[in-house]
Amino acid sequence: MKDKDVFTYLIGGKAGEGVKKAGAAATSLFLDLGREAFQMDDYQSLIRGGHNFSVVSTSTREIYSHHMEVDLIVNLDERSRDIHEGHLAEDGLMFYNSDDSGEKDDGIGLPLGDMAKEYSKPDLIKGVAGVAVLAACNGMDQKDLKELIEKEYSRGVEENLSFGVEVYEEVDKKIDKTFELEEGKSESTVLTGNESLSLGAAAGGLDMYIGYPMTPASSILHLFAGHKDKLQVLPIHPENEIGVANMAVGATVPGARVMVGTSGGGLALMEETVSLAGMTEAPVLFVLASRPGPSTGVPTYTEQADLNFALNQGHGEFPLIVASPGSVKEAFFLSNEMLELVWKYQTPGIFLTEKHLSESAKTLDIDLDSLDDDPLETKMAAEDEEYKRYEKTEDGISPLKFPPAEDLIQWNSYEHDEMGYTTENAETVEEMHDKRREKNETLILELKEMNTVNEFNEGDTVIFTFGSTTMSVREALKFADVDAKIVQPVYLNPFPVWELEEYMGEDAVVVEQNSTGQLATLLREKCRIKPKTVIRKYDGRAFEPRELAAKIEEAIK
Amino acid sequence: MKFDDLDVESEIENTWCPGCGNFGLLNSVKQAVKKLEDEGIGRDIMLISAGIGCHGKIFDYLNIGGLYSIHGRESATIQGMKFANPELKVMAFGGDGDAYGEGLSHLIFAAKRNADITMIVHNNGNYALTTGQKSPTSVQGFKGPSSPEGSVNEPINPLRVLLSSDAGFVARGYPGKMQHLTDLIVEAVKHEGFSLVDVLQPCVTFNDTYEKYNELVEVLEKPAETRKEAVELAEEEERLPIGILYKEEMPVYNEKVYPEGNPVEDRMDREERLEAVKKILDEKR
Ligand SMILES: Cc1ncc(C[n+]2csc(CCOP(=O)(O)OP(=O)(O)O)c2C)c(N)n1
Ligand code: SF4
Repeated sequence: MKDKDVFTYLIGGKAGEGVKKAGAAATSLFLDLGREAFQMDDYQSLIRGGHNFSVVSTSTREIYSHHMEVDLIVNLDERSRDIHEGHLAEDGLMFYNSDDSGEKDDGIGLPLGDMAKEYSKPDLIKGVAGVAVLAACNGMDQKDLKELIEKEYSRGVEENLSFGVEVYEEVDKKIDKTFELEEGKSESTVLTGNESLSLGAAAGGLDMYIGYPMTPASSILHLFAGHKDKLQVLPIHPENEIGVANMAVGATVPGARVMVGTSGGGLALMEETVSLAGMTEAPVLFVLASRPGPSTGVPTYTEQADLNFALNQGHGEFPLIVASPGSVKEAFFLSNEMLELVWKYQTPGIFLTEKHLSESAKTLDIDLDSLDDDPLETKMAAEDEEYKRYEKTEDGISPLKFPPAEDLIQWNSYEHDEMGYTTENAETVEEMHDKRREKNETLILELKEMNTVNEFNEGDTVIFTFGSTTMSVREALKFADVDAKIVQPVYLNPFPVWELEEYMGEDAVVVEQNSTGQLATLLREKCRIKPKTVIRKYDGRAFEPRELAAKIEEAIK
Repeated sequence: MKFDDLDVESEIENTWCPGCGNFGLLNSVKQAVKKLEDEGIGRDIMLISAGIGCHGKIFDYLNIGGLYSIHGRESATIQGMKFANPELKVMAFGGDGDAYGEGLSHLIFAAKRNADITMIVHNNGNYALTTGQKSPTSVQGFKGPSSPEGSVNEPINPLRVLLSSDAGFVARGYPGKMQHLTDLIVEAVKHEGFSLVDVLQPCVTFNDTYEKYNELVEVLEKPAETRKEAVELAEEEERLPIGILYKEEMPVYNEKVYPEGNPVEDRMDREERLEAVKKILDEKR
């Protein structure tokens, strides 16, 4: 069974059975084979029990999404078997825990409960079975399996090895075919979107990361906390999101490059401070890792319903930069770029992403040499000139100066004069509005020189999408019999109308993960693009590529 | 403009009501800053923040750098400044509505983590700038536009709240004793760790407490020996002790979390940064 374009592996079980870890080990195995992989973890907002699964799709070509047509399924419990039976591909293999499900006609039973009982952590260790099954079905020998377990399961390695080998031998006895995946030529790294955006910001000179835990943004905080000494980015976890945002604004005064991260509810709490950053001209980068709302919503799943929320952050008028990456790799370069932009323009930025990109892992290659070694410059005040924090300039950008300094440097949330003293003077109020607007105009000129819209594929029909859904559309087009071009605005505010004008009046298709079609509305309002069809999904799950392909075909044909 | 050419007090028109307790407070701050400057803590390394209220106007009246924050958040803003560059000396000005109501959580946790900041609260027992509504420290029965029949709550005791949040420096001052207040502010700024100076600030327009304070205020000889005794001092009603109620040296936040580092002064250069990122990327292979 060779040369399948995509091979998909899925492991499902209860929270606390090491499901996610097994998914990561599978990804690592594919990586060792030089293959590309995309791993999506589906988990519930609970700590024990429930149903979790990790699905990894792999190919020798670049792969942009997981699939739900699965070639190899490992069910650690009966519920997993019930849920995933229907996902089995033709010719696929399914294993199940016969101690939980009893012997069944379909699939191959393994007495995982009994086997695991002998070990000190009989629940957690079950995940290792998933790795052993994969190894056996892929025709790996025991030595390779051991190496993989040693690499991926450093804690309690003895027990994991012994259990892994036991399962491997059991599987070996029961199967009469193996998949034998072709080796690829990739020399990739694996990153989640959150890891990618964090490292991109760190590469760009981030000094501090401030966050309050909220799925799916928490792992950014964990990354900086875990790599504090290596990256020298100071991680802070304060009392609440309002504290987070206001500490961040304060930290910019002595010149710290600071990023904060949260999800919709947290950003709602920070919103007053987004406006404060606009008024004081404080360069803070806010990561909005979105999940299905409204309110607490469906915390560990994905949705793109916060586009309007991001675009409309903050009361009053001020320049706001909003952008969203269309791939895990783009997350790296975009956070890096946005950090530069918010500093150059001294205004808040929102890095919008969704759980599907934040927490999914993908093989990718990040070439640090491709980072611009001549970053956008932050305008600094000359040493000996008289300093005014809000000096009026032609481009609207006032020079910065940081303490310790001999000069009075005043940032102000009230409307202010050039020195930063509070004012209610009509003329000054108007002038300062103009100053901030000029800054926005300079920003637009800058964006016009930058890559603000991505295009993929060629074709007569245009498919608009944004953020994590870009990944789904790119993968779907591998399976759709259509000639279509994908257009993904990376920058969403200021909206790159100058790039999109050419599509005005076209019969476009829009694909997005929300129920009201927020991107479609934006395209209509800003560019007079009239989408023919808006393909929407709002059940918290990312699009399945082949299902999306069918919808696209239907829309275009 | 350079500090050399700028007095500590600015030339901005002062719009506090004549007789307001804020004038005495401003004067004490001015004197304290001059004293600190004489002792080598100059305005070049000093930053301030303020909330929104009558108290906040002190930001404009002082020629000290910083950020005029939003209602209730100055204690968070000022911590951001301190954590970004621990070499700076920082002071935040709040109102009782602002610091003890809207933003109390930040204050409690600033004390808990022992952030090296000084918080000065203009405690006037009402929301003055918004025309005299009841505040967290208004006495029971306080009549304001939002409580025409009198506030039903007992006031909170901010000193007790902060003492039980493990604050290492808790003081109360009174602008009627200006020299005393000046010294308190100097001590508070010099204290390494979180310090609170709760200032009994008469508001002549909405809550004129001069008479009461002149009668009840009593200068403390020395701080309490224990936190428990300090709480007892804070709870006294027959007299109002002013001075340092409690003082304890404890490790400060930035030294606990990053003893050596200074986020804005000890930066890695671009090459080192990329090398660090590369190492992590390589681990993910
Ligand atoms: C988020 C927010 N809520 C409400 C206000 C309106 N506001 C301005 S000052 C103030 C109360 C001021 O009282 P206090 O903090 O005690 O200061 P004082 O004026 O008494 O010095 C309020 C409620 C605001 N500026 N921001
Ligand atoms: S209203 Fe009260 S606090 Fe405000 S300036 Fe007047 S007297 Fe002072």
